[in-house]
Amino acid sequence: MQPYEPTIICFSCCFGWGYLTGRDVLSVRIKHWVPVICSGKLDSTHIMKAFREGADGVLILGCPDGDCHFQDGNYQTRKKVHLLHKVLASYGIDPRRLRMELGTDPDGDTIPKLIQNMGRELRQLGPLKVNGQAVEA
Amino acid sequence: MTKKPKVAIYWLGACGGCDEAIVDLNELLLDVASSVEIVLWPLAMDRKYDSIQRLPDRSIALSIIHGNVRNSEHEEMARLLRAKSELVLSFGSCACFGGSTGLANFCGRDSIFEWVYRESPTVENPKGETPKPKSTVDGHSVTLPEILDHVYALNQVIPVDYYLPGCPPPPDLIFHAITAVLEGKLPPRGAALAPQKALCESCPRNNTKPPRIDIKEIRRPHEVEVDSHVCFLVEGVICMGPATRGGCGETCLRINTPCRGCFGPVEGVEDAGAKFLSAFASLVRATTDEQVQSIMEKFHDPVGYLYRFTQPSSTLGKRTKSRGTV
Amino acid sequence: MWKVVNTGSASAEEALKQYLPPCQMKCPINEDIQRTNVLISMLPLDPDEALQGIIQIGDYLYERNPLFPVCGYVCGLCELECNYQEKGGAIRRRLLKRFISDHYIDQIRNKEELNVEKTKENVAVVGGGPAGLLAAYDLSRRGFRVTIFEASDRLGGALWLIPHYRLPEDVLTSAVNNLVRICEADVKLNARIGDGKLTLDKLRKDGFKAVFIAKGTPLPRILTYGKEKVEGQELSGVMYGQTFLYEVSHGNIQAGYFRGKKVIVIGGGNVAFDVARTACRLGGETTVICLECSDKSSRDGIPADEDEIKGAWEEGIRIIFSRGVKKIIGQGGKFQKIECPLCSSVFDDNGFNPQFDPTDSIAVEGDVLMITVGQGPDRSFLQKEDLLSDKGGLAVDPLTLQSRNKDWVFIGGDMRRIGFMVEAMHEGLVAAESIERYLRGLDMKVGRKRQFEAQDIPYRRVYKHEPEVVWIPPEKRLHFQLFERGFSLKEAIEEARRCARCGPCVSCKACLALDIQEGLPTVEVNEDVCSGCGICASICYYGAAESRYKDGSMISSTDVFRCKACGMCVVACPSQARKMTGDTMDQKIKAVFAGLTA
Repeated sequence: MQPYEPTIICFSCCFGWGYLTGRDVLSVRIKHWVPVICSGKLDSTHIMKAFREGADGVLILGCPDGDCHFQDGNYQTRKKVHLLHKVLASYGIDPRRLRMELGTDPDGDTIPKLIQNMGRELRQLGPLKVNGQAVEA
Repeated sequence: MTKKPKVAIYWLGACGGCDEAIVDLNELLLDVASSVEIVLWPLAMDRKYDSIQRLPDRSIALSIIHGNVRNSEHEEMARLLRAKSELVLSFGSCACFGGSTGLANFCGRDSIFEWVYRESPTVENPKGETPKPKSTVDGHSVTLPEILDHVYALNQVIPVDYYLPGCPPPPDLIFHAITAVLEGKLPPRGAALAPQKALCESCPRNNTKPPRIDIKEIRRPHEVEVDSHVCFLVEGVICMGPATRGGCGETCLRINTPCRGCFGPVEGVEDAGAKFLSAFASLVRATTDEQVQSIMEKFHDPVGYLYRFTQPSSTLGKRTKSRGTV
Repeated sequence: MWKVVNTGSASAEEALKQYLPPCQMKCPINEDIQRTNVLISMLPLDPDEALQGIIQIGDYLYERNPLFPVCGYVCGLCELECNYQEKGGAIRRRLLKRFISDHYIDQIRNKEELNVEKTKENVAVVGGGPAGLLAAYDLSRRGFRVTIFEASDRLGGALWLIPHYRLPEDVLTSAVNNLVRICEADVKLNARIGDGKLTLDKLRKDGFKAVFIAKGTPLPRILTYGKEKVEGQELSGVMYGQTFLYEVSHGNIQAGYFRGKKVIVIGGGNVAFDVARTACRLGGETTVICLECSDKSSRDGIPADEDEIKGAWEEGIRIIFSRGVKKIIGQGGKFQKIECPLCSSVFDDNGFNPQFDPTDSIAVEGDVLMITVGQGPDRSFLQKEDLLSDKGGLAVDPLTLQSRNKDWVFIGGDMRRIGFMVEAMHEGLVAAESIERYLRGLDMKVGRKRQFEAQDIPYRRVYKHEPEVVWIPPEKRLHFQLFERGFSLKEAIEEARRCARCGPCVSCKACLALDIQEGLPTVEVNEDVCSGCGICASICYYGAAESRYKDGSMISSTDVFRCKACGMCVVACPSQARKMTGDTMDQKIKAVFAGLTA
């Protein structure tokens, strides 16, 4: 049997992460990747659905504070993540499963590493359960 | 004499408030009662389970079912009424979304039993007895419906034709819904028999909002006196109105209480709590991360606000109950 | 490394009013400032890798403005209108342009010719300054066979007036000489139209079907007091600043020329300061005397740029405000001193009308007097060629630049109306369009008048301060090398990132060029579900989302000109009443979700 490998979706902002490397090159190195034009476009519904659809972890990569191309999109999502952590905890979902990093990496080289690190942490938590039960499709 | 259409009104995991709301139709109830044949209404009439079982399938024109599915009897009755009815109206927030007792899903049945029957400081239960589906008393075998491990909304157990949300639905909406059925003037199946838009549309406090709402501090309703024409959110008081379907007549807002979201999500939205979270977060104004955190600290019990009536139908919480599962 | 796909620019529909960021409105050629700012901010940090991107940006700028390297040293008009001024300091766009220019100048030397087939008519351009050069470039690009007639021995016109500590000589010559090489225009130096047989008629006879006259303002204005010419301007030691600067640019003035001498410069404009700071660098003890007062916010305020005044003051130049010159006094044919009455006001409601108080007069002694009070066009040429109106002004249509007297003649640049370098360049482009329309028999005016409206700065939590500009300390910069340090790659990226991107998507499209988006999405409001709660309006940083009354209920709407399709309102809407059309994020998410359990 295969050892448990957490499924992590990475949402990354195009204006801060990986814009110097071709998208096809990066998508080979990042398994479940959704590049978005601004991290502020992510809604709580997307994050909750991600967990519902089988993600064990969600990693959001936004631009540094004050550097958002659309003024404050990264900050908007940051606020949602604060509240989401509390909501997820009530659903029995460890807040470590939702992570938001602010920074910039034009080449996108650090993205696979960040996912790997997160995976290491999540491996200890095991597959996602909502209030103690596996998520039904 | 033309046969009057058969109507059933039944309660599952309910508090009785929905029945109360139907009774609140007052004189109109008499009109309704004279145009239909009520075959089942435990609150008001004496009919038994077998009388329903004996009816042919699809012979009940309309079953108004309120309450959520919390135990095996609820499930059984829901399935029975579905089989015997042409139309099923999911009545009230418990049936439509799972209701406030749906918050139990955050704890799970076993931990609730532990608390209620054993751990609670006011409980005296030396033998640690808990309700069991089957037990023997004085040599007789007695059964109780089994409490399911999860609270379900009605449409997670049986297919539902129409929805009338509210805790409880207001009498005017009830009357319109029933009349619509009797006159055959119904929207396509699956529709909610209530306005499509959020509460803000009809709320008298909506037009005094400033162009930009800045929430710098979250305040509880008892901490601030909000003028009757001022929007609660402007004062930092959490009001679920923007994410909640309208139609209730703003009864809470008129007595200076913020909306708690009992009408559930707006048309087309699955998870009102998630949408309110996004909307609310966007209104919080702070400069640093620490400030954001300290503002959010005062949002005690977020899921209690966001999912007070809708946990079982929320994106993360929803489940379907097929026969035989727990 | 991204590859810039040149989709879109500041194109405007003919009749519609267009929104632009105020910087692009102020720029006489409506340069794609926002777009190129975004592109610069997305350059790699590694200089070698970045070069490729810089060249792409340079190519884009060059297409629309082949003299942009010069602009990077001398033009900052856009900064005067930058919305960020009140929030922490205008974006240092000029330095950003200079950064591109410094790394692109080699490219220009090696750039290929346009190789356009010159199938259209012969057109003459009279004057090899910025206006003429841009006209020549644009006309050549359109397929006309252009000949530039330049009176002096070099192209560049008034650009040669700019001292080399502001505009390095090699930038000027590279830009100008390669322009004519690349557009393959024919250049005739030392050919003054108006001299002897070289008349406009001769040009016509020689086969030129249209001519653009941009001879500039080669004649310095003489000093007057009231309406009278001030006596003594022929004394030895008295010269005109403009002439002096030309001499310096030709290399005719040796270092230390004014050592031990007192130099007085009359004038308050940028040219006067160029003269003063040049004289100072040649060893002179320099004083500037001007009519205007020191309060730049008043009508009578000194017109020179703040940076020039500051630089001059640092270099030890004394400035005497609010004084005119009544008399120039000499001895033995040599300039000795001037008499300067107080100037109580410069402008009145009718225009330039200085008022003096002769009872308050000072004498200022000096060895050299530089008169730099303006310059004018060669009016005798215009008169001879019958290009003036009955009232004596230039008979030209200001919209099309076509002469009202001779329909094949077009006039623009400083000669028509004195202005900034880029304004002259703009007139060169206008003339090129007019000439094409004229020769093709098309309507001269339709679609020419463009209306723009400026967009405000978007709201954001934190605005950043402008970076400091570094100058060599005054005691070390009294030479003709550049004293201003340009941006490093890192600084350029940071400053370009600070730009608030005030302008609408249609005039930018940088995200499309960078292949970050496939198209410009639009936001739609589903009025069946919108409750008018106003949360979208609260969160919109661009003032695009608005909640207002419509048929008795509050409904939100989106101003498509201000909307950036950032998606904040779509997320914040608690009713999910807003959606983006033409956006692929939802599809991408769906596809990734589908692949999760695979």
